[in-house]
Amino acid sequence: MTGVFVRVGNLTFGGGDPTMAALYSELVTSRRWLTPETYGLVYALARITPGTNVLAFCAGAAWELAGWAGALLAVLAAALPSAVCVVLLTVGYQAWKHNAVAMAAIAGTLAAAVGLMATSAWQLLAPSLATRDWRRIARALAVAGAAVWLPLRFGVTPVAVLGLAAVAGFLWQEPEP
Amino acid sequence: MSPLLVCLLLLKASATSFSGFTSLPVVRHDFVETRHLMTDRQLNAAMAAGRTAPGPNGLYLASVGYFVAGWPGACAGCVACLAPAFLIVPILHYLGRRAERPRVKSAIHAVMFATAGLVIEATVPLARDALTGWIPVAIAVASFFFLVLTQRATLWVIAGAALVGLLALR
Repeated sequence: MTGVFVRVGNLTFGGGDPTMAALYSELVTSRRWLTPETYGLVYALARITPGTNVLAFCAGAAWELAGWAGALLAVLAAALPSAVCVVLLTVGYQAWKHNAVAMAAIAGTLAAAVGLMATSAWQLLAPSLATRDWRRIARALAVAGAAVWLPLRFGVTPVAVLGLAAVAGFLWQEPEP
Repeated sequence: MSPLLVCLLLLKASATSFSGFTSLPVVRHDFVETRHLMTDRQLNAAMAAGRTAPGPNGLYLASVGYFVAGWPGACAGCVACLAPAFLIVPILHYLGRRAERPRVKSAIHAVMFATAGLVIEATVPLARDALTGWIPVAIAVASFFFLVLTQRATLWVIAGAALVGLLALR
């Protein structure tokens, strides 16, 4: 089981969703370790677990299969090799930052990182915008707009903004599709 | 800076986010704005490292930890990224399907929309630092549309941007 998490966790680029899709074919379709229902439940709960969704998914799926020890092994297997890779890239950045040729390439990647950030924001809003239901779109934009405005206007900290959003979302319920 | 404090600050960011880079606004608030432990450029480089490497994007926290406190900081960032994942076990055990109730989902969706707003706000200073001419602006815009429209692996975007930078920004 640890082998599956090492392979899928560290060799899939592009973040959570492609990784979780690859785990579906490994855990449900080919090995039948999990039923599609359990996979669906773990997938849904991973999305509402704080932190990195895909690691929560690995912890949840492995806990279903092998308890706490399994969860610990799966998370370490899915993350540690990649974490070493991330830090080595950072070490490389530090080492090369005084080299003009390397800096030109790094400047390109930093510009791309700005585009990636905008993509992250877009991906959080896109599912609601795609519903074409104006009540859901208005609600999503109102909450996102308030989250931009409150820190700029009143210096509200990000954690407080998230807390306020949770309360607002609980009271102002999302319209049913 | 003590790796324990780095770990606690990053844990705060990671435990109040849902998925990859959404912890960025809290990280930027604590490490760049309030404590001045790193620059916007370093934070931007940490994100680029997180997206270039395979595996979960949230691991960019290990890079943030490295910038602030070397290898012990990198380990602290790694712990902060991994620890919240285990919260799914009590959630599965005690809440199970009840966690899918409409009101709970509605609150979580609102937190995600707020995160989008916070991410947009945190991107502005990063953009001010990185987008110093029309070529970087073009790279940023092209990266955004490439990722939104094609869903291809980020690695290709980063590699392409590095190549364009090498040819055009030298």
